[in-house]
Amino acid sequence: MVQTKEVGASHTENTVIGESILINGKLTGDEDLTVRGRVEGELTLTRTLIVEPSGIVKANVAVKNAIISGVVVGNVNATESVELTREGRMVGDIHAPRVIIVDGASFRGRVDMGEVEAGRLNTERPARPVVRATTRTVAPPPKPPPPPTRVEVKAKAPVRPVPQPPAPPAAPARPASAASPAVAEIGKKKIVVKKKTK
Amino acid sequence: MANTVIGSSIVIDGEISGDEDLVIQGTVKGKISLKESLFVEGSGVVEADIETQNVEIGGRVTGNIVATDKVELKSDCRVVGDIKAPRILIADGASFKGNVDMDHKER
Repeated sequence: MVQTKEVGASHTENTVIGESILINGKLTGDEDLTVRGRVEGELTLTRTLIVEPSGIVKANVAVKNAIISGVVVGNVNATESVELTREGRMVGDIHAPRVIIVDGASFRGRVDMGEVEAGRLNTERPARPVVRATTRTVAPPPKPPPPPTRVEVKAKAPVRPVPQPPAPPAAPARPASAASPAVAEIGKKKIVVKKKTK
Repeated sequence: MANTVIGSSIVIDGEISGDEDLVIQGTVKGKISLKESLFVEGSGVVEADIETQNVEIGGRVTGNIVATDKVELKSDCRVVGDIKAPRILIADGASFKGNVDMDHKER
Protein backbone atom coordinates (compact mmCIF):
# COMPACT_ATOMS: atom_id res chain seq x y z
CA MET A 1 0.00 0.00 0.00
CA VAL A 2 2.74 2.36 0.95
CA GLN A 3 4.58 1.49 -2.21
CA THR A 4 1.70 2.41 -4.46
CA LYS A 5 1.36 5.80 -2.80
CA GLU A 6 5.05 6.46 -3.23
CA VAL A 7 4.89 5.48 -6.87
CA GLY A 8 1.94 7.78 -7.43
CA ALA A 9 3.66 10.67 -5.71
CA SER A 10 6.89 10.26 -7.63
CA HIS A 11 5.12 10.37 -10.97
CA THR A 12 3.07 13.50 -10.47
CA GLU A 13 5.04 15.10 -13.27
CA ASN A 14 3.65 12.59 -15.69
CA THR A 15 0.17 12.45 -17.00
CA VAL A 16 -2.56 12.95 -14.46
CA ILE A 17 -6.26 12.85 -15.15
CA GLY A 18 -7.77 15.03 -12.43
CA GLU A 19 -10.81 14.22 -10.38
CA SER A 20 -13.31 16.31 -12.32
CA ILE A 21 -12.03 15.25 -15.74
CA LEU A 22 -13.90 12.89 -18.03
CA ILE A 23 -12.16 11.46 -21.05
CA ASN A 24 -14.31 9.58 -23.47
CA GLY A 25 -12.49 7.91 -26.32
CA LYS A 26 -9.16 6.40 -27.04
CA LEU A 27 -6.10 7.13 -24.96
CA THR A 28 -2.62 5.90 -25.83
CA GLY A 29 0.81 6.74 -24.51
CA ASP A 30 4.34 5.76 -23.55
CA GLU A 31 4.42 7.08 -20.02
CA ASP A 32 2.89 6.46 -16.63
CA LEU A 33 -0.70 7.58 -16.29
CA THR A 34 -2.48 8.43 -13.06
CA VAL A 35 -6.25 8.48 -13.18
CA ARG A 36 -8.13 10.37 -10.49
CA GLY A 37 -11.09 11.17 -12.69
CA ARG A 38 -12.91 9.15 -15.33
CA VAL A 39 -11.65 7.47 -18.47
CA GLU A 40 -14.04 5.66 -20.76
CA GLY A 41 -13.30 3.84 -23.97
CA GLU A 42 -9.91 2.41 -24.66
CA LEU A 43 -6.66 2.86 -22.77
CA THR A 44 -3.30 1.69 -24.10
CA LEU A 45 0.02 2.41 -22.41
CA THR A 46 3.51 0.99 -22.68
CA ARG A 47 4.05 1.78 -19.02
CA THR A 48 2.14 1.88 -15.75
CA LEU A 49 -1.47 2.78 -15.19
CA ILE A 50 -2.33 3.96 -11.69
CA VAL A 51 -6.00 4.24 -10.87
CA GLU A 52 -6.29 6.16 -7.64
CA PRO A 53 -9.18 5.70 -5.20
CA SER A 54 -11.16 8.51 -6.84
CA GLY A 55 -10.45 7.20 -10.33
CA ILE A 56 -12.94 5.38 -12.52
CA VAL A 57 -11.90 3.55 -15.67
CA LYS A 58 -14.54 2.01 -17.87
CA ALA A 59 -12.36 0.80 -20.67
CA ASN A 60 -10.46 -2.03 -22.16
CA VAL A 61 -6.99 -1.51 -20.79
CA ALA A 62 -3.71 -2.66 -22.29
CA VAL A 63 -0.66 -1.67 -20.25
CA LYS A 64 2.62 -2.94 -18.86
CA ASN A 65 1.65 -2.58 -15.20
CA ALA A 66 -1.61 -1.64 -13.58
CA ILE A 67 -2.10 -0.58 -9.97
CA ILE A 68 -5.78 -0.34 -9.23
CA SER A 69 -6.98 1.47 -6.14
CA GLY A 70 -10.13 2.84 -7.71
CA VAL A 71 -12.78 1.36 -9.96
CA VAL A 72 -12.10 -0.46 -13.18
CA VAL A 73 -14.81 -1.92 -15.36
CA GLY A 74 -13.41 -3.69 -18.39
CA ASN A 75 -10.74 -6.12 -19.35
CA VAL A 76 -7.18 -5.47 -18.27
CA ASN A 77 -4.35 -6.88 -20.30
CA ALA A 78 -0.93 -6.33 -18.76
CA THR A 79 2.41 -7.53 -20.08
CA GLU A 80 3.88 -7.51 -16.58
CA SER A 81 1.57 -7.21 -13.60
CA VAL A 82 -1.82 -6.18 -12.31
CA GLU A 83 -2.25 -5.21 -8.68
CA LEU A 84 -5.61 -4.73 -7.03
CA THR A 85 -5.02 -2.85 -3.81
CA ARG A 86 -7.15 -2.81 -0.67
CA GLU A 87 -9.34 -0.05 -2.11
CA GLY A 88 -9.47 -1.45 -5.62
CA ARG A 89 -12.71 -2.60 -7.18
CA MET A 90 -12.81 -4.27 -10.51
CA VAL A 91 -15.20 -6.07 -12.81
CA GLY A 92 -13.67 -7.69 -15.88
CA ASP A 93 -11.04 -10.14 -16.94
CA ILE A 94 -7.38 -9.86 -16.06
CA HIS A 95 -4.71 -11.23 -18.33
CA ALA A 96 -1.21 -10.83 -16.90
CA PRO A 97 1.70 -13.04 -15.86
CA ARG A 98 1.61 -11.53 -12.37
CA VAL A 99 -1.68 -10.79 -10.68
CA ILE A 100 -1.80 -9.48 -7.13
CA ILE A 101 -5.09 -9.17 -5.33
CA VAL A 102 -4.79 -7.75 -1.85
CA ASP A 103 -7.13 -8.46 1.05
CA GLY A 104 -10.00 -5.97 0.90
CA ALA A 105 -10.00 -5.67 -2.87
CA SER A 106 -13.19 -6.44 -4.74
CA PHE A 107 -13.01 -8.31 -8.00
CA ARG A 108 -15.36 -10.15 -10.30
CA GLY A 109 -14.06 -11.70 -13.47
CA ARG A 110 -11.55 -14.14 -14.80
CA VAL A 111 -7.85 -14.24 -14.20
CA ASP A 112 -5.46 -15.62 -16.76
CA MET A 113 -1.80 -15.74 -15.85
CA GLY A 114 -0.89 -17.53 -19.06
CA GLU A 115 1.06 -20.77 -18.92
CA VAL A 116 1.55 -22.09 -15.44
CA GLU A 117 5.26 -21.95 -14.81
CA ALA A 118 6.95 -25.32 -14.26
CA GLY A 119 9.31 -23.61 -11.83
CA ARG A 120 6.57 -23.00 -9.32
CA LEU A 121 5.58 -26.65 -9.17
CA ASN A 122 9.18 -27.71 -8.76
CA THR A 123 9.68 -25.40 -5.83
CA GLU A 124 6.69 -26.93 -4.10
CA ARG A 125 7.69 -30.54 -4.67
CA PRO A 126 11.10 -30.47 -3.02
CA ALA A 127 9.50 -29.15 0.13
CA ARG A 128 7.47 -32.32 0.63
CA PRO A 129 10.30 -34.89 0.38
CA VAL A 130 12.25 -32.90 2.95
CA VAL A 131 9.39 -33.26 5.39
CA ARG A 132 9.14 -37.00 4.72
CA ALA A 133 12.85 -37.46 5.12
CA THR A 134 12.83 -35.91 8.57
CA THR A 135 10.04 -38.25 9.69
CA ARG A 136 12.06 -41.27 8.62
CA THR A 137 14.56 -42.36 11.18
CA VAL A 138 16.67 -43.82 8.38
CA ALA A 139 17.12 -40.53 6.55
CA PRO A 140 19.00 -38.48 9.17
CA PRO A 141 22.49 -39.89 8.48
CA PRO A 142 22.95 -38.12 5.10
CA LYS A 143 21.43 -34.92 6.42
CA PRO A 144 23.54 -34.07 9.46
CA PRO A 145 25.90 -31.66 7.64
CA PRO A 146 23.63 -28.56 7.72
CA PRO A 147 22.14 -28.90 11.26
CA PRO A 148 24.14 -31.57 13.08
CA THR A 149 22.99 -30.99 16.66
CA ARG A 150 19.30 -30.88 15.81
CA VAL A 151 19.37 -33.97 13.68
CA GLU A 152 21.03 -35.98 16.40
CA VAL A 153 18.37 -35.00 18.89
CA LYS A 154 15.61 -35.88 16.45
CA ALA A 155 17.21 -39.16 15.51
CA LYS A 156 17.48 -40.27 19.14
CA ALA A 157 14.00 -39.17 20.08
CA PRO A 158 12.03 -41.35 17.62
CA VAL A 159 14.32 -44.37 18.14
CA ARG A 160 13.51 -44.61 21.82
CA PRO A 161 9.71 -44.77 21.69
CA VAL A 162 9.59 -47.26 18.83
CA PRO A 163 11.50 -50.15 20.47
CA GLN A 164 10.43 -49.60 24.09
CA PRO A 165 6.68 -49.22 24.70
CA PRO A 166 5.04 -49.72 21.29
CA ALA A 167 7.26 -52.66 20.44
CA PRO A 168 4.64 -55.37 21.11
CA PRO A 169 1.78 -53.81 19.10
CA ALA A 170 4.10 -52.60 16.37
CA ALA A 171 5.50 -56.07 15.79
CA PRO A 172 2.29 -57.71 14.55
CA ALA A 173 1.29 -54.70 12.48
CA ARG A 174 4.49 -54.45 10.49
CA PRO A 175 5.19 -58.16 9.88
CA ALA A 176 2.77 -58.08 6.94
CA SER A 177 5.69 -56.87 4.90
CA ALA A 178 8.25 -58.69 7.09
CA ALA A 179 6.50 -61.96 6.20
CA SER A 180 6.30 -64.44 9.10
CA PRO A 181 4.75 -67.75 7.78
CA ALA A 182 1.27 -67.23 9.29
CA VAL A 183 1.08 -63.68 8.08
CA ALA A 184 2.27 -64.71 4.65
CA GLU A 185 -0.69 -67.13 4.34
CA ILE A 186 -3.08 -64.38 5.32
CA GLY A 187 -1.51 -62.16 2.74
CA LYS A 188 -1.92 -64.88 0.07
CA LYS A 189 -5.55 -65.46 0.98
CA LYS A 190 -6.28 -61.80 0.74
CA ILE A 191 -4.67 -61.60 -2.65
CA VAL A 192 -6.71 -64.55 -3.91
CA VAL A 193 -9.92 -62.91 -2.75
CA LYS A 194 -9.02 -59.76 -4.58
CA LYS A 195 -8.33 -61.65 -7.77
CA LYS A 196 -11.72 -63.43 -7.58
CA THR A 197 -13.58 -60.22 -7.06
CA LYS A 198 -11.85 -58.69 -10.03
CA MET B 1 -1.77 19.36 -7.68
CA ALA B 2 -5.38 19.45 -8.62
CA ASN B 3 -4.86 20.04 -12.29
CA THR B 4 -4.73 17.48 -15.01
CA VAL B 5 -1.69 16.95 -17.17
CA ILE B 6 -1.68 15.11 -20.47
CA GLY B 7 1.95 14.10 -20.89
CA SER B 8 3.96 14.50 -24.07
CA SER B 9 3.74 10.85 -25.12
CA ILE B 10 -0.01 10.61 -24.56
CA VAL B 11 -2.47 10.57 -27.43
CA ILE B 12 -6.15 10.97 -26.71
CA ASP B 13 -8.73 10.50 -29.41
CA GLY B 14 -12.13 11.45 -28.05
CA GLU B 15 -13.77 13.88 -25.70
CA ILE B 16 -12.35 15.50 -22.62
CA SER B 17 -14.57 17.37 -20.22
CA GLY B 18 -14.12 18.61 -16.71
CA ASP B 19 -14.21 21.37 -14.11
CA GLU B 20 -10.51 21.92 -13.58
CA ASP B 21 -7.39 23.20 -15.27
CA LEU B 22 -5.98 21.03 -18.03
CA VAL B 23 -2.40 21.07 -19.27
CA ILE B 24 -1.72 19.43 -22.60
CA GLN B 25 1.81 18.42 -23.52
CA GLY B 26 0.73 15.55 -25.73
CA THR B 27 -1.82 15.09 -28.48
CA VAL B 28 -5.56 15.43 -28.18
CA LYS B 29 -8.02 14.91 -31.01
CA GLY B 30 -11.75 15.34 -30.71
CA LYS B 31 -13.34 17.79 -28.33
CA ILE B 32 -12.36 19.58 -25.15
CA SER B 33 -14.84 21.29 -22.87
CA LEU B 34 -13.73 22.71 -19.55
CA LYS B 35 -15.06 25.18 -17.03
CA GLU B 36 -11.56 26.33 -16.14
CA SER B 37 -8.32 26.99 -18.02
CA LEU B 38 -6.70 25.06 -20.81
CA PHE B 39 -2.95 25.25 -21.35
CA VAL B 40 -1.52 23.88 -24.55
CA GLU B 41 2.21 23.76 -23.99
CA GLY B 42 4.94 23.88 -26.62
CA SER B 43 4.93 20.15 -27.23
CA GLY B 44 1.14 19.99 -27.22
CA VAL B 45 -0.88 19.25 -30.33
CA VAL B 46 -4.63 19.74 -30.29
CA GLU B 47 -6.93 18.92 -33.14
CA ALA B 48 -10.18 19.62 -31.44
CA ASP B 49 -12.94 22.07 -30.85
CA ILE B 50 -12.34 23.80 -27.55
CA GLU B 51 -14.82 25.28 -25.11
CA THR B 52 -13.36 26.72 -21.94
CA GLN B 53 -13.09 29.77 -19.77
CA ASN B 54 -9.46 30.53 -20.56
CA VAL B 55 -7.06 29.15 -23.14
CA GLU B 56 -3.33 29.66 -23.25
CA ILE B 57 -1.69 28.26 -26.34
CA GLY B 58 2.02 27.72 -26.81
CA GLY B 59 1.74 24.69 -29.07
CA ARG B 60 -0.31 23.75 -32.09
CA VAL B 61 -4.07 23.93 -32.20
CA THR B 62 -6.36 23.12 -35.09
CA GLY B 63 -10.03 23.70 -34.36
CA ASN B 64 -12.51 26.28 -33.25
CA ILE B 65 -12.02 27.90 -29.88
CA VAL B 66 -14.77 29.38 -27.77
CA ALA B 67 -13.75 30.89 -24.46
CA THR B 68 -15.95 32.66 -21.93
CA ASP B 69 -13.08 34.80 -20.71
CA LYS B 70 -9.78 34.90 -22.57
CA VAL B 71 -7.73 33.33 -25.34
CA GLU B 72 -4.01 33.90 -25.37
CA LEU B 73 -1.81 32.95 -28.29
CA LYS B 74 1.79 32.90 -27.17
CA SER B 75 4.81 33.30 -29.38
CA ASP B 76 5.77 30.14 -31.27
CA CYS B 77 2.22 28.83 -31.24
CA ARG B 78 0.45 27.77 -34.42
CA VAL B 79 -3.30 28.04 -34.45
CA VAL B 80 -5.73 27.35 -37.25
CA GLY B 81 -9.42 27.90 -36.56
CA ASP B 82 -11.93 30.45 -35.40
CA ILE B 83 -11.64 32.10 -32.03
CA LYS B 84 -14.54 33.53 -30.13
CA ALA B 85 -13.89 35.19 -26.79
CA PRO B 86 -14.32 38.57 -25.10
CA ARG B 87 -10.56 38.93 -24.67
CA ILE B 88 -8.07 37.70 -27.23
CA LEU B 89 -4.33 38.25 -26.99
CA ILE B 90 -1.95 37.44 -29.80
CA ALA B 91 1.72 37.71 -28.94
CA ASP B 92 4.51 38.64 -31.30
CA GLY B 93 5.74 35.51 -33.08
CA ALA B 94 2.44 33.69 -32.91
CA SER B 95 1.08 32.12 -36.07
CA PHE B 96 -2.65 32.25 -36.53
CA LYS B 97 -5.13 31.65 -39.30
CA GLY B 98 -8.86 32.07 -38.77
CA ASN B 99 -11.60 34.41 -37.67
CA VAL B 100 -11.60 36.36 -34.48
CA ASP B 101 -14.80 37.30 -32.74
CA MET B 102 -14.62 39.46 -29.64
CA ASP B 103 -18.23 39.72 -28.83
CA HIS B 104 -18.51 42.05 -25.87
CA LYS B 105 -22.30 42.15 -25.96
CA GLU B 106 -22.65 38.69 -24.52
CA ARG B 107 -20.57 39.61 -21.56
